[in-house]
Amino acid sequence: MSKVIMHRLKATNPLCALNPFNEGSRIHTRLSRQNVAGQRFFSISGCLCSRAPPPRKSTPTVDIPGLERVTYADRMHYVPGLAKPKFPPWHRGWHDPHHFTGPKYEEMPLYKEKPCYMINQRTNMLEGVKQALWLTKSKMIKGLPSQVLSLAEDTANQIENQDERVQQAIKHARFWDTTEGRPARERFCPVLVQDLLHLCRTLQVRHPSLGKRILAENYSLAAYWNRGADLFQVRGRNGLLLNSQSPLPPVAGKEEVASTSDLVLETFYPISPTIDLQLSHVFQEKSQTGFQDGYPYPHAHTLFFMESGVKHRLQPEQLRAKMIMFAFGNALARAQASYGTQPQVLEQPIVVQGVATNGRTFQFAVFQLNTTDLGPDTGVKNMLWLDDDQDLYEYAKVRPIIKKKVVRVPAGLAGYQPDTFKKFLALYLHGAV
Amino acid sequence: MLWEGAWSRVEKQRTRLSSDLGSVRQNSTLWKQRTKYTTRPIGMKKTGGRDHTGKLRTAGIGGGHKQRYRIVDFQRLNLEPGKEVQSFEEKVIEVRYDPCRSADIALVAGGSRKRWIIATENMQVNDIIKTSATIGRIAVAANEGDAHPLGALPVGTLVNNLELYPGKGAQYIRSAGTCGVLLRKVNGTAIVQLPSKQQIQVLETCMVTVGRVSNINHNKRIIGKAGRNRWLGKRPSSGLWQRKGGWAGRKIRPLPPMKSYVNLPSVRSES
Repeated sequence: MSKVIMHRLKATNPLCALNPFNEGSRIHTRLSRQNVAGQRFFSISGCLCSRAPPPRKSTPTVDIPGLERVTYADRMHYVPGLAKPKFPPWHRGWHDPHHFTGPKYEEMPLYKEKPCYMINQRTNMLEGVKQALWLTKSKMIKGLPSQVLSLAEDTANQIENQDERVQQAIKHARFWDTTEGRPARERFCPVLVQDLLHLCRTLQVRHPSLGKRILAENYSLAAYWNRGADLFQVRGRNGLLLNSQSPLPPVAGKEEVASTSDLVLETFYPISPTIDLQLSHVFQEKSQTGFQDGYPYPHAHTLFFMESGVKHRLQPEQLRAKMIMFAFGNALARAQASYGTQPQVLEQPIVVQGVATNGRTFQFAVFQLNTTDLGPDTGVKNMLWLDDDQDLYEYAKVRPIIKKKVVRVPAGLAGYQPDTFKKFLALYLHGAV
Repeated sequence: MLWEGAWSRVEKQRTRLSSDLGSVRQNSTLWKQRTKYTTRPIGMKKTGGRDHTGKLRTAGIGGGHKQRYRIVDFQRLNLEPGKEVQSFEEKVIEVRYDPCRSADIALVAGGSRKRWIIATENMQVNDIIKTSATIGRIAVAANEGDAHPLGALPVGTLVNNLELYPGKGAQYIRSAGTCGVLLRKVNGTAIVQLPSKQQIQVLETCMVTVGRVSNINHNKRIIGKAGRNRWLGKRPSSGLWQRKGGWAGRKIRPLPPMKSYVNLPSVRSES
């Protein structure tokens, strides 16, 4: 055991604690020379101990000017004894998109040292709403705000034969839309949302200010902000956007906004809030609502998200997180356009609503942007009202579910819940009534 | 593991092979030559027991259900890039079946990273598991699923996912329901009894996971029929009658001597 003791004495030698990468020698040769036993080098992977690749034959090539070796270039074939000719790299001379290799990330003009975390429409955030609340520095309140709920309860705002017409809209989307047996989710989900929006638009006769709205598809959003020490971005396209000429009135008053500064944001240790976000060094710090200046409908009113993807389907929790992030992004882009990019507590809070659906279940959110000063955890917070998992109906079956010769669920629409559409309508009417 | 080191050699080979469409790509292993870690399953190609030259290397393999490979991180003490900490915690997100091994695997998340590890017996979703690199003077009271160096654990602990060399990644005690026992700690080394009852000596800085590997009823399952083995990709053995010889029957032999994986440099070479 004298060997062991000797080694343990040596292990205390500070020379061993040096990072082996700092020295010029290769890792595996170093490993054989000086054993790593008894100490760990962190952040060195298993390649340290795995079998080394075969040693390269290193014959140093010496280039003496005026003494070029005779090559077989002019013979056009290999000749023993003559050197291999060296040609300059061949270029095609024209741009071939099939053989195009882009520049390295480091050489791109938009490359930055400090990376940015990006959120796009396919971001699947692991921690869902909790993560979105931390990223947007928001306080969550369950249920919709009282203004919206009173709109929903008021019978004067209802459409004639409302329940019947909504059920017809559902049946249109689920049964009558195609000649196929059963329309897929990609098909019936947008159809249902468009039908419900059409029903909402019929109230324009009673409320003419509803005419000052416009529906935009495929608009592209860009907003960035600093949160803690990191930079975040919401980028890209998503769903439908209902724009209006006038902004939504603030939902919470000044006292309520000021009282949010006591709130301590929920963390979810050991998971970091940046999990599942796209990390990129190449990005542009851009703030853009998706519409040009002078657009007559500049204010985002409601965002509609249709979760109908087959391949990259989001779970309801992740869908809510995406809805919050994009509602926040729209509000932030609007705030940065109106008040400048300096972080500040906004005089007039900006409210953006969100509705997400998978064709059956609806998620409603009202987001109020109180502050763009998102760096520190202290101070005024933003506010979010969230009403989750509201079913519009329970079953819409083309064929009945029969188990053990007993009809469990009959064909057709079953379990219609009228409250969900009332909330949908209230969010639409909010700001116009 | 291959995917951890940036081996430009592999990258070169990949570009050469993909551009060279005319060559025969017999049993190419391109699918497993990825350098970047991902938690997404990777589509595998079946070898049918053949090696890269196309010759039969292992008999009795072929067919079966299509399987996808999930990269399991056998290095528990694999820190996120840019972090130098002595211990960190992770949360279990999912515990699931893995077609490529007998044990179950667990998806864990910590920091801004997710990875697959081998699940232990009682690992459940939302558990917090700890990985530590420190060897204190007092042995730790470790929970199941935690990973510690062998030197930090009390003698008699049940361990799995044993590293042979510090930092290399677990190589022993990874299959379903197995566990080893930490027998002794001697002079900076530890002696572990493997599931085969053989004893090995490794350095005390080797990482192990505490507890028993998941899927403990793996050996009790009933295959039921020949076809289920075919689903698993196992072909029937030869039906040829062979006289029972020395291979058959119980054998009594002494346990092999303790194997040492402690490569201490000799005093002469050091001086």
